[in-house]
Amino acid sequence: MMKYLKILHISLTERLAYRADFFLTTFFRFLPLVTTFLLWEAIYAGAPKADDGAETTIVGFTRDKMIAYLLLVQISRMFSSMPGLATGIAHDIRDGNLKKYLLQPIDMLWYLLSYRGAHKIAYIATTALPYGILFFLFRDVFDLPGPWTWLAYFLSLILAFLIGFFFEACIGIAGFWLLEVTSFMYIVNIFTFFVSGQLFPLELLGEYPYLTAALEVLPFQYLAYFPAMVFLEKRQGTELIVGLLIEFAWAIGLLVFCRWLYHVGLRHYSAYGG
Amino acid sequence: MLLRYVNLWFSLAKFSLLGELAFRGNFLIKIFVELLWLGILLLFNYTIFQQTTSIADWNAQQYFFFIGCYFAMGGLIEMLFLDNCNQFADLVRSGDLDFFLLRPIDEQFLVSCKHVDWSCAPNILLGAVIMSLALWQIGWTFDTIQVGIFLVLFASGAALAYGFLLILMSASVWLMRNQSLFEMWWLFTTLMRYPSEIFKGPWAQPTGWFFFFVIPIMLVTNVPARVMVRPLLEPWLACYAIAAAIVVVAASRYIFRAALQHYRSASS
Amino acid sequence: MPIIEANGLSKTYRVYQKQEGLFGALVGLFSREYKDVVAVDNVSFTIEPGEIVGFLGPNGAGKTTTLKMLAGLIYPTSGSATVLGHVPWEREDAFRRRFSLVMGQKNQLWWDLPAADSFQLHREIYSLPSDQFDATLSELTELFGVKDLTSQPVRELSLGERMKMELIAALLHQPQLLLLDEPTIGLDVIAQVTIQKCLRDYNAARGVTVLLTSHYMRDVEALCKRVLVITHGKLVYDGSLAGIVDRFGNEKLVKLQFDGDDSPADVATFGEVTSREGPIVELKVDRARVPEVLAAILQRYTVADISINEPPLDRMIAKVFEQGTV
Repeated sequence: MMKYLKILHISLTERLAYRADFFLTTFFRFLPLVTTFLLWEAIYAGAPKADDGAETTIVGFTRDKMIAYLLLVQISRMFSSMPGLATGIAHDIRDGNLKKYLLQPIDMLWYLLSYRGAHKIAYIATTALPYGILFFLFRDVFDLPGPWTWLAYFLSLILAFLIGFFFEACIGIAGFWLLEVTSFMYIVNIFTFFVSGQLFPLELLGEYPYLTAALEVLPFQYLAYFPAMVFLEKRQGTELIVGLLIEFAWAIGLLVFCRWLYHVGLRHYSAYGG
Repeated sequence: MLLRYVNLWFSLAKFSLLGELAFRGNFLIKIFVELLWLGILLLFNYTIFQQTTSIADWNAQQYFFFIGCYFAMGGLIEMLFLDNCNQFADLVRSGDLDFFLLRPIDEQFLVSCKHVDWSCAPNILLGAVIMSLALWQIGWTFDTIQVGIFLVLFASGAALAYGFLLILMSASVWLMRNQSLFEMWWLFTTLMRYPSEIFKGPWAQPTGWFFFFVIPIMLVTNVPARVMVRPLLEPWLACYAIAAAIVVVAASRYIFRAALQHYRSASS
Repeated sequence: MPIIEANGLSKTYRVYQKQEGLFGALVGLFSREYKDVVAVDNVSFTIEPGEIVGFLGPNGAGKTTTLKMLAGLIYPTSGSATVLGHVPWEREDAFRRRFSLVMGQKNQLWWDLPAADSFQLHREIYSLPSDQFDATLSELTELFGVKDLTSQPVRELSLGERMKMELIAALLHQPQLLLLDEPTIGLDVIAQVTIQKCLRDYNAARGVTVLLTSHYMRDVEALCKRVLVITHGKLVYDGSLAGIVDRFGNEKLVKLQFDGDDSPADVATFGEVTSREGPIVELKVDRARVPEVLAAILQRYTVADISINEPPLDRMIAKVFEQGTV
């Protein structure tokens, strides 16, 4: 009897442990959304009311639009975040696992890209339910855009995926020269959290034209902010097309840079004998 | 006994510094990005307070003090423990944890304190500067007792954060196989980044209570920040924060030992 | 009192069976299958103070797992052991101060710092008195011939020098038992020989007990009078190195040089030909049949030279591994 109880206990903990992995990480990934929501609720609550009783807006966002924005950047990040990519590459460089790509007729970057692509599809499929419920609960804050906007939105998300991938891959490849990428990546992630617009729409920094100009030129906004703005139809006509073109240029630019960096890194690597 | 550990810690800190100075590039880039981040964080909050007068009853100066407190706390944890704990999963995977277990010294101490990440030390200083500036703007007059209480509560907040980090680290060995501890820690600490008062509303209020009383992560920065800038701090809250720190650290030690046992019976 | 006493040590662990394909991965989300792997199966032996014992076996035979159990790193599934009078897996501080484990493929020193710094850290971890530490350190660096290298960063040292530093670090607290796992792995022959010499000298000077695993028969031949052979987790031989020859060496190599430029065509009828070059032939012959075969050959041909040898030890060990059980 005791034996079977023990077996029951062991198999139960194994199963629970494995599912806990999935549920805990999903739960953790929702936490920043919750706190950001509440922070903005508090900000809108503290803002002075207009005398004519009009709805409070902050940098052109009503409360509802802000909520919609915060939900949409989550979708952007679902495409553009690459947890563990940079550190994985850096580990491969350090441990000498890189040799497996050099010996086999396979290119590391293309391999990782297809691997990530598959991973993203699986991840989006598994989290569709919680996100579906969330969006359903907040359905009132959204106005569904027209078909062209949908098309532009999907395009911007695919490009966001590519920019996210090549940006992190570049940092990972920097592991050829950097001593330690993990803790560096931690800082970069925090930095990205702010400048990609995950915490606030970038209009908020409108008073600092140099800063907004810099953010306009840098690739970070395309990781979260830009796709969300496309969906909210705050980018239209020429502005939308120019935005998409810049995003496309960044995706290509980072791809080229990443390949070049990898190439130089490999030479550096073999010079040191691996 | 305690002296031995203190001496050992100083040696570890010294050798970490020597190691890091050998790779100055890394060190400088990290400090640079940290500064950028702090700049944007401050800018964001400064802009917000031009649009609004208060966030959940915290006015601008109080809120900036809170940010300074959070920044210093984050820097302290990063400097002392975060990188060490992040490496734990690697140690388990590669089997190098074995060498930590061979030494005649407490495993938890060695695992969580081996490397001191000096590049995070400036954050503590910057946090302190922000806190001081906020106090100066409020027109605070120096009060030794208040500062003493703050330091005690700051220390217990750090202990609390350490306990949670250790629990997360130990659990990650068999609960979160492929996740990076850095990411999990960043996601989890989002709960200590804002004043607890923002948890308002039918579903947020109970959530806030949950993270205040059941999994008391929000105490980490809220309690020390409150003691300096908020009207009055109830004594029970201070006692509660200290008690919570003791309980969580004790629990974390228990869970860490369980993780070690698990490792030692499962590996070959 | 023996240094190590192992009684019926066994270790079984579970591995997750990964299912193939996308469907398999999905199924794996909800149900997982495990397989029990027996790494060590009912192993018993004792080791007396001052001995150097070799631990042989093919890859995955359970050598490292046994060493780890004796070092107290992992729990056995069943069985008991006493090491230096302690139960190893209780890991008391007093026990951990009295032995060392060195693994050839792992690095315990701080990579970017000179070995001297790692030694200092060691002194603090083991709380060694300064004067004792200084004396031991200078004795060891003298013995291993690395006095001038301790202030160079470890990453700049050669593999052999690094191994010496690892050994010094392991010996600083003057352990009574040294567990070595593949101490010469990856080293060239010269470095192997110096490491062997260092270990032998240290054993002679301090009487430390050594249990070592190695792939290189040279290490074992040079250092160990006694060997334990383990295959598939089972201890199949415990005794002197020479005893292996008696037990398993039931064949001899007969080397013949015939008169003239060539060897006779029918030489293969006398035994298995292992090499044949002009008039020189080497035959593998059952030990019992050697006199009979020799007599027959000498009767029919003129032979210029004869020698009879034992097959090389590593070939014999390989045979023991293949057979698995005795």
